[in-house]
Amino acid sequence: MANPFEYNGSAVVGMIGSGCVAIAADRRLGIQGQTIATTFDKIYPMNESLYIGFYGLATDALTVSSRLKYQLNLYQLRENRQIKPKAFMHMTSNLLYSKRFGYYFVEPVIAGLDPVTKDPYIATMDLIGCPMETKDFVVVGTCSEQLYGMCESLWKPDLEPEDLFETISQALMNAVDRDALSGWGAIVHVIEKDKVTTRTLKARMD
Amino acid sequence: MEDYRAPVEVQWSPYSWNGGTVLAVSGEDFSVIASDTRLSEGFQIYSRDFPKTYQLGDNVVLGSCGFQGDVTTLNKVIEAQLKIYDHIYQKKMSCESLAQLLSTILYTRRFFPYYTYNILAGLDSKGKGCVFSFDPIGSYEREVYRAGGSASSMLQPLLDNQIGLLNQTGVEKKPLSVEKAVQLVTDVFTSAAERDIYTGDGIRINIISADGVDIKEVPLRRD
Amino acid sequence: MASVLADKYCSKSLRGILMDGECGPGHEYNYQPLNNSFTVPPGIDPHHFVSPFMSDSSDCKIKFNHGTTTLAFKFQHGVIVAVDSRATAGSYIASQTVKKVIEINPYLLGTMAGGAADCAYWERQLSFECRIYELRNKERISVAAASKLLANMVSYYKGYGLSMGTMICGWDKKGPGIYYVDTDGNRFTNNIFSVGSGSTYAYGVIDSTYKWSMSIEEARELGKRAIYHATYRDSYSGGVVNLYHVQEDGWTKVSQTDVKSLHYQYEEEKNKEIINNEEL
Repeated sequence: MANPFEYNGSAVVGMIGSGCVAIAADRRLGIQGQTIATTFDKIYPMNESLYIGFYGLATDALTVSSRLKYQLNLYQLRENRQIKPKAFMHMTSNLLYSKRFGYYFVEPVIAGLDPVTKDPYIATMDLIGCPMETKDFVVVGTCSEQLYGMCESLWKPDLEPEDLFETISQALMNAVDRDALSGWGAIVHVIEKDKVTTRTLKARMD
Repeated sequence: MEDYRAPVEVQWSPYSWNGGTVLAVSGEDFSVIASDTRLSEGFQIYSRDFPKTYQLGDNVVLGSCGFQGDVTTLNKVIEAQLKIYDHIYQKKMSCESLAQLLSTILYTRRFFPYYTYNILAGLDSKGKGCVFSFDPIGSYEREVYRAGGSASSMLQPLLDNQIGLLNQTGVEKKPLSVEKAVQLVTDVFTSAAERDIYTGDGIRINIISADGVDIKEVPLRRD
Repeated sequence: MASVLADKYCSKSLRGILMDGECGPGHEYNYQPLNNSFTVPPGIDPHHFVSPFMSDSSDCKIKFNHGTTTLAFKFQHGVIVAVDSRATAGSYIASQTVKKVIEINPYLLGTMAGGAADCAYWERQLSFECRIYELRNKERISVAAASKLLANMVSYYKGYGLSMGTMICGWDKKGPGIYYVDTDGNRFTNNIFSVGSGSTYAYGVIDSTYKWSMSIEEARELGKRAIYHATYRDSYSGGVVNLYHVQEDGWTKVSQTDVKSLHYQYEEEKNKEIINNEEL
């Protein structure tokens, strides 16, 4: 098998706006050049205002997401409160590092709002859990270079939810259109303090 | 003494990679071709003032990056051929013909390629702006805009979006102005310099119109 | 020395000092490699040297139409040729607007799969040879002969790492003709061919409804649909469908359709069918 990160193909991006965050991903599940499904979810809700998306080997993403959900449920039952995005990021980091010498082939993007302060939060990490928190955007995927080019040009501070949706959608769609392994539709979640808006995009299907 | 050294396979590698990004955009009666001015290899910067665009005629400019040794050699070959053509026909070669010539020159090295990415910009024989992009062995195509070299994959989707108007619905397609083209080129290079270590220091923008080639220089980040 | 120069690049200034007839036709400016050969790396097998630059994992990515879907089929009204337009370098989509049908002359078409430059260069060379044939023999070349010229040209370089899988399509005295030619030295003729990474998907669609007695409309729609389905499943195919039709009086370009609009058009047709079935 070639590079496990390029086996299924994916693109995930997270962006911070004014009092909101957005996370978006493409919907393709492929086996190298062959497209298997075009309605495959790469972003998993962890609670009302916290989402995690994965780039990498799809089977590992499913495993990691369900192990995280399990740990998170225990945490929330024990503490009887919602987890902070930062704490969840450390939980993810610890899970990935626990497999330091036989790792999961995934790089996550975490996006959410702080349950108390409602501060927007995004982060990403490498496959063994080295975290990177930013104040603008995070990108992972088989088309990360394309995504960097798009986000670096389109993103600006303090975007309102609707503008953030437009920005993240344009960034993702135009990036995946220059990548053979990702695309075939996209899904965007915009997380605000009182609601989450989820939309699927009408994209190129080639 | 017996020699226990293992046999060593020697791989001859005549190429290096000197980075650099080239970008060309064509409009109705003009075209713009720009490159960054950094020359580097690995983590070393060789020069901060080394534009990768080469004027080949009154209104045609070649952007070429990759292995600088091959870029220089290729330019010498093209210039020699242009001189011969000029002596035979007593006129300058048109941009379309030059594109075909470049393709053939590149293909003569099919089995020992020039490690160069080329973009040719200028005015065609009808006076319209034109851009031709090449792969290292001479496959070429006429396009409206094209980014090549080190940061090409960062710039290209943005050009698709802003000039090609891809994924934009309900937008009226207006002809591109020189000012907008230059502004866009400046903006996308600034973005690329943020993320690509082989792109930076400055931009050399060549604006090609019927009056000739106008050159503009813009600084970029130098780290 | 002057005569050597004049021989190769007969110039206006030299023309004055040459005897009449010394500078005949065929001595016009025509760039070709010196001593008429290709530069090869010194002392190394050319294929061994150049193959790393053609592979997906290489840093120096040569635009390689590895991913491609092209098809051609004969039917009662001629030949349908349909292709996608994507060029990939590794997983990066280098272009969505490649012209993969090469117009050799008004009666002959070639398709492009494999190395983009290899196909473009050798089919340009073929168009030159076909014109020479026409002038010598005072009649058009047959599809069989044209394809054999190409096969002979590329097989001279067998083992040098050329990569080309093409269908030479046209119309001659024998009627519609398709020949498949590749750089391994293969040359076949048949009613249906499809070449490239998406070819299996395209074959599936063609085989499901292909009939020799199709109408022109049905045949064109089949070609378009086969390419569309290949672009949907094969990530290395995409862009637009370019459709050509070869008839007795030469080829015509029928259409150029973005597969994005095709996808939503077919989707709508499917939904209508579902509604109709529910009503039944």
